Amino acid sequence: MGLLDKLSGWLGLKKKEVNVLCLGLDNSGKTTIINQLKPSNQSLFGPLSDDWKHVSQTQTQDIVPTIGFNIEKFKSSSLSFTVFDMSGQSRYRNLWEHYYKESHAIIFVIDSGDKLRMVVAKEELDTLLNHQDIRSRRLPVLFFANKSDLREAMSLVKVSQLLCLENIKDKPWHICASNAVKGEGLLEGVDWLQDHIKTMKT
Amino acid sequence: MTSVPSGSESSKWLDAHYDPVANLYTFSSCIALADLHGDGENKLVVGDLGTGSCNMKLKVYRGTGLMSENTLLDLPTGLVSFLMDQHEPRTPAIAVASGPFIYVYKNLRPYFKFTLPPLEVNALEQDVWNQAREEMIDPLSLKEMLEGIRDKADVPLSVRSLRFLMLDPQDTEAFVNLHKAQPIQRQTVITCIGTLKKNMADEDAVSCLVIGTESKDVYILDPEAFTILSKMSVPSAPTQMDVTGQFDVEFRITVACRNGNIYILRRDSPKPKYCIELSSHPVGLVRMGKSVVVGCAQETLQGFTQKGKKLWTACLPAPVTTMGVMDLPTRGFQAVLVGLANCEVHLYRDKNLISTIKTPDVVTSICFGRYGREDGTLIMTTKGGGLIVKILKRTAVFDDRDSAPGPPLAQSIRLNIPKKTKLYVDQTMRERENAVAMHRAFQMDLSRLRLAAARAYVKALESSLTPMSSSLSEPLKMNAVVQGLGPSFKLTLNIQNTAACRPVMNLAISFLYDESLYSMKTAFFKIPLLVPGLNYPIDTFVECLSDKGISDIIKVFVLREGKSAPLLTAHINMPVSEGLALN
Repeated sequence: MGLLDKLSGWLGLKKKEVNVLCLGLDNSGKTTIINQLKPSNQSLFGPLSDDWKHVSQTQTQDIVPTIGFNIEKFKSSSLSFTVFDMSGQSRYRNLWEHYYKESHAIIFVIDSGDKLRMVVAKEELDTLLNHQDIRSRRLPVLFFANKSDLREAMSLVKVSQLLCLENIKDKPWHICASNAVKGEGLLEGVDWLQDHIKTMKT
Repeated sequence: MTSVPSGSESSKWLDAHYDPVANLYTFSSCIALADLHGDGENKLVVGDLGTGSCNMKLKVYRGTGLMSENTLLDLPTGLVSFLMDQHEPRTPAIAVASGPFIYVYKNLRPYFKFTLPPLEVNALEQDVWNQAREEMIDPLSLKEMLEGIRDKADVPLSVRSLRFLMLDPQDTEAFVNLHKAQPIQRQTVITCIGTLKKNMADEDAVSCLVIGTESKDVYILDPEAFTILSKMSVPSAPTQMDVTGQFDVEFRITVACRNGNIYILRRDSPKPKYCIELSSHPVGLVRMGKSVVVGCAQETLQGFTQKGKKLWTACLPAPVTTMGVMDLPTRGFQAVLVGLANCEVHLYRDKNLISTIKTPDVVTSICFGRYGREDGTLIMTTKGGGLIVKILKRTAVFDDRDSAPGPPLAQSIRLNIPKKTKLYVDQTMRERENAVAMHRAFQMDLSRLRLAAARAYVKALESSLTPMSSSLSEPLKMNAVVQGLGPSFKLTLNIQNTAACRPVMNLAISFLYDESLYSMKTAFFKIPLLVPGLNYPIDTFVECLSDKGISDIIKVFVLREGKSAPLLTAHINMPVSEGLALN
């Protein structure tokens, strides 16, 4: 980073770039969450307007199962995120580890209504945290207990219990309930992520 | 080692769900996985047998919870999910076989009921019942005529006639009056059900239903019109079947029958083409690739080719309860799951045991496939009604070699050979030095022992002291038992005639005892005729008179009438009377 870049960074003219890896099982809502965080989405910066509701509906309608991965970009108040939105289908899950090295943070999305596959999510989380590229680094991990609007959705406490999150000692982590379709809870998570990436860098 | 370390097993399967009180009582034939709503999420469909007489239900599970329940009218014998039409969205129908009917459900709503065609009725029987309807014959002669038909005719009687023949004479009149107006029918029931792709091998192709019936027939039904496309017959009632291929091209129906044979039916032949004769009854039947794997009642697993040639046999540690196939096409992995009565599920590829799963209860049904959104899900229900869901890990690998190799466990057990001490060595030294003297002394003692034994034997024979009589005319055996604590004892003599086929008569028993110590009601009595082989217990009661705790011997003699020398003698050492001491 040149002196000029640093200067512009301090002045807030140019935002710092960070890579974030978005992981989770298939059908957990990763793409929908990223979609909600994208720049066209006004909800991060202002109250919901009627105009925006229409946009979000058209956005969410054409979300299809991700093949391989997508790269998306969005900005928060002080950071510019590049998100690797990975596919969660089991045949693509072995792609995840190729992106561990470049990432600065991880978003792990859980379908809190899918009690059956919670063990699978835990298994994938454990392999992720024990991977050699992740184990030694203090990456912030943000968990979204997504689909909290479902009737059979489990509480945050229950989800963190089932995933044994209390065993993660060497990394900052945070879990928040979210409803990706409406965008509830996403802002809180991204704010936490932003704070921790900043403290990690400096 | 026979046991597989549990650590390696837990690294293959994830325990997704275990509900020990799910109240699911079913077998592998009544369980299926299907995408009922076309949303990409597979549901578990179970034909619950309930208690066997009530509470039969069609249950649908989604994730870990019960989604819906439909009451079934009768006990389900089989349940399959199949695509019956080309309509979009491609939601499969559920076919539940029970009795002579197939109930087809679409969107979990009753949609169609198929009834098996009635069987041919014996013309003579029909005639007889027609006569009864016109009051030409009375119930008694009707019964006689039906019995005649039952014994001679080659077409068996209908259920009504058989019921009638069973009735008591006073009930026949009412039965005839009640039933004579209706025409006679013969109905059969479905024993097993399977599906067969119609003309495409795709996963979402239309399938025909294949049913086996108690009347030893196999029917193939059209998926849309429910007409019979093909009818085949096997020599015995089918119990389980496996179907592969396509109806319009080529298919194979492997049928396990109640006579312990397996028949292989093919297109264009109404009779089975190949037959596999098993040494014991088949419990589970599974097809894996080109081979047929059969679990036998004799705790073995046998592999056969499509033409019925035996390939291999594997011995199992416990009886087979159920079998299922584990097919993972994305990984190119196929294996056979065998549920055993010792609460284990074994995974076999060919004859090699590649993995073992321990379950908390005996597994009665196994289903492997896509459940929810997970491809490798193993669903098991237990004898106690529990539901177990396990998910195969993405990283799990099964190595091809047998996980139970090596020499049998018995080889490593050390023999229990006693140690020799210094005493033993000293003894051998002594024997080596004085061998001649020892031999002589021993031979001398031996001949003295023989003399003494012969003397004692002759003495015993002379006075008939032995409890076994060796005489050829009266081979007898006797023993005496004393029961009780006293002062009164029960004395039982067990007398047996050991001759091959000659009874013994005119015997008497006499007791000899000290009359100041004991008293008996009768010290002499006759015994009945002794039939060879039977044991005659003869009881008498002995009263002890002494209060000083003295005991004596009572002698028993078995005598022949007209001879004074006893045939047998027994000496009974009476126990000390404890009753008086207590008083």
